[in-house]
Amino acid sequence: MGVRRLFRFKSIHTNIALAFSCLILCTTLLLSYSSYRLSSRSVARNSLDYTAQLIDQVNTNIRNYIDNMESISSLALSNGDLQRFLSVPRGTPEAEALSARIAGFFHALVASRNDMAALLFVGSNGTVISDRPNAPLKDYSELIGQDWYQSARNAGGNVSVSSARVQHLYKGEYRWVVSMSKMLRGPGYGAPTGVLLVDLNYNVIDDLCRQISLGRRGYVFIVDSAGDLVYHPQQQILNTELKKENIPLILGSADRSEKVADSGEAKIYTIRSTGFGWKIVGVTYRADLAGDRRNMQLSAAMWGGLCLLAALGISIWLSFTLTRPIKQLDIHMKQVEKGNFDIRVDIASPNEIGKLARTFNLMIGKIRELMGQIVREQEIKRVSEIKALQAQIKPHFLYNTLDSIIWMAETNKMREVVEMTTALSKLFRASIGQGEGEVPLAVELEHIDSYMKIQAMRYRNKFTYAIDVAPELRGCPILRFVLQPLVENAIYHGLKNKAETGHIRIAGRRTGSVLELTVEDDGIGMDRAAAEALLAPAAGDAARTGSGVGVLNVHQRIRLLYGPSFGLAFDSEPEEGTTVTIRIPYAEHHAFAESKS
Amino acid sequence: MKRSGWIALVLCALALAAGGELAHWASRALFARSGPILFVPKSVGPEMEFWQVVGQGVDAAAKELGVEARTEGAASETDVDGQIRLVERAIPQKPRAIVLAAADYERLVPVAERIRKAGIPLVLVDSGLKADVADSFVGTDNEAAGRQVAEALLADLPPAGTVAIVSFVKGSSTAMERENGVRSRLGASDVRVLGTLYSDGSPDKAYALTKELLQRMPDLAGIAGLNEPSTVGAARAVQELGAAGRVRLIGFDSSTEEIRYLEEGAIQAIVVQKPFNMGYLAIRTAVDISNGRPVEKRIRTGSVVIDKRTMYSKENQKLLFPFR
Repeated sequence: MGVRRLFRFKSIHTNIALAFSCLILCTTLLLSYSSYRLSSRSVARNSLDYTAQLIDQVNTNIRNYIDNMESISSLALSNGDLQRFLSVPRGTPEAEALSARIAGFFHALVASRNDMAALLFVGSNGTVISDRPNAPLKDYSELIGQDWYQSARNAGGNVSVSSARVQHLYKGEYRWVVSMSKMLRGPGYGAPTGVLLVDLNYNVIDDLCRQISLGRRGYVFIVDSAGDLVYHPQQQILNTELKKENIPLILGSADRSEKVADSGEAKIYTIRSTGFGWKIVGVTYRADLAGDRRNMQLSAAMWGGLCLLAALGISIWLSFTLTRPIKQLDIHMKQVEKGNFDIRVDIASPNEIGKLARTFNLMIGKIRELMGQIVREQEIKRVSEIKALQAQIKPHFLYNTLDSIIWMAETNKMREVVEMTTALSKLFRASIGQGEGEVPLAVELEHIDSYMKIQAMRYRNKFTYAIDVAPELRGCPILRFVLQPLVENAIYHGLKNKAETGHIRIAGRRTGSVLELTVEDDGIGMDRAAAEALLAPAAGDAARTGSGVGVLNVHQRIRLLYGPSFGLAFDSEPEEGTTVTIRIPYAEHHAFAESKS
Repeated sequence: MKRSGWIALVLCALALAAGGELAHWASRALFARSGPILFVPKSVGPEMEFWQVVGQGVDAAAKELGVEARTEGAASETDVDGQIRLVERAIPQKPRAIVLAAADYERLVPVAERIRKAGIPLVLVDSGLKADVADSFVGTDNEAAGRQVAEALLADLPPAGTVAIVSFVKGSSTAMERENGVRSRLGASDVRVLGTLYSDGSPDKAYALTKELLQRMPDLAGIAGLNEPSTVGAARAVQELGAAGRVRLIGFDSSTEEIRYLEEGAIQAIVVQKPFNMGYLAIRTAVDISNGRPVEKRIRTGSVVIDKRTMYSKENQKLLFPFR
């Protein structure tokens, strides 16, 4: 819950930026890591393959050398002279001649090859033939005590290959060689035997191995079947506490790669066996092997970081540009909240937000229009209200009425005085009530009854009147003071100038949900144009006088309250009379708690 | 806005590429090894087998540790000024470390101090300095080697025999240490030790002195030669006077000549140092110091007693006959 709240940011901008960033972070990390893994693995595999190839090559080369030496030794041995030399007694001229011939042959062989250090034949009868007849050889007894002689004898007729050793055949001469020795049996049982020694220059192997480079620090070494090192670049420090090679592992292993640890560092042995018991081992350091593992890590991390930075920048920029219009919209809405409708959002982009902005502008415009309309209507209402009130009891009407009452009182028509005064009082009471609002039709009818009563008395014999509205309709609510201007209009414009007695009839009837009240007179009437002009607001107030204003006012008030489908309608014929129809919505059982007071 | 977005994208891509190149370059500059290690032997002359082998050790360690080692030295072991000049020239180049075999116990001290002042790690190899300026010393424990010589002498010596010591340069630290070793061990036995003869590093002088001594004292039972020329000179005298086998001669270091005398029986045993190990360990120590790892102040490379019987053993032939 807390976590969720932590990630609930207020702005879309932050949300988008964060989402993008997370997404980018994950992808970049994943990509960087996997590409690093893949490349480091493939580099490691490649360099292992490469190492194996190199070692194979070294193996082949060394084998070639040894094979060459072997073939030379068999060449020497198959030479009949050597066999013959063993069979002839020592010291005879024939033996001397043979010895000289063989020595010459040996010398030619060694001279022809720079990888061969020495060729020597030592017979069990004390004879020695060297490729260098003049060099000071060591004593016979010492020679036969040397390793190569002993191992050849022990090997029977097989070739014995030594490890790397210092050859000390000649006085004061010490050479590093690899010795191959083979025992030769003389003809017949009991005949003297001999050992042929072929020394291979150690340089050859040293050069071969030294020039192999396996990574930055890797190297090649050779171990013989006894576990002795034939070659190692660090022979001197080997098998001290400084450096160790895992010889038992190598001896026990087939031709493959082995992982070993050397003072905490991982090495890989690539082991190959030669045919004669040596094993050639390529050593590569794991740290080396992965190429520049560190470099690779670094570059992966660096590129990842850079991509990340760029992507973060882009995501922030993107989220900013995406949300900027929304923010703009938000700012404008805040202004609208404060009540300022006189604004426009300027977002021209064709996307959703642009559409939103356009709709917003449209909405604001509409609201502005509606508000203006309301203000206008309120103004009209207020004005018409005042006019309605003014229209009710005009001072003239009051004077005239009072004059009439005085006149009646003077002529002692007390009954009429009472009647008129009562009507006037009712009229006044009604007008003191609420300025606006609806009243039941009954109240309005009572009011108009009072008014007509007064007028009928004033204009004696000018007109008669009748109110003909069904009682069930009298509960319908109606705007106040709508009938009086119409009646006034009928009296002043229709009946006053008529010679004979006129008649005003107020009728009501219901048509569906509409209540129609008619004020009908049989006065002088008017033509169609005049009738229409009465309700045309464009004509202006100046064109009309007196009750004309009142009629328009009634029309407007009805339409304001009930809607434009309601209002007044005139139907008039000159010399026939005028009928005004008031259309209002019909409603029953309205509560008139206030207006009745 | 659409178009400016594309332009921004392209700019971003360009910046990315440029940044990548920059980062690549920076990483290479940052992770590149800071210069080579300078190895200054006493001499770079090809006849000095000992320093050749030290050099092999240096190269082996450099390859193994992935550092570059440059060898610079005077042509002769006695050219002290040459060595001083050489080191002084090297200091401004700020090598990663200097491995120095001081040609003189005292005269190299000021330049060694300057090396340290320049913030360059200094490892002394084989020969130390009078002042304690170096970060580490890699070499033979000469006193122990002297004791080994005495031990080999005592192995087959008539009771209460008389023994002479043929040393090399009077006042040289190694000579003194070796002599101290010999004397301390012999002092614990019933052997009578004569005053020290100084060959001054010349086999001829050693030969003359030994010859004169042998003629003066025919019953001399043993001689300790404290370096290679001293041993060779003494051996020549012993052989010439037919005293081989009668006078027990124990030598120091190895050379082809010495080995021949050993084989011929004029020398009974030699104490051999481990120059390869010296070079190897000196580089390792120098790299450790430059990487900020703690190192031992004195690193002993050890010495071995070799006689005729053991000279062709697998281990010893590597010491006696350094390859190349």
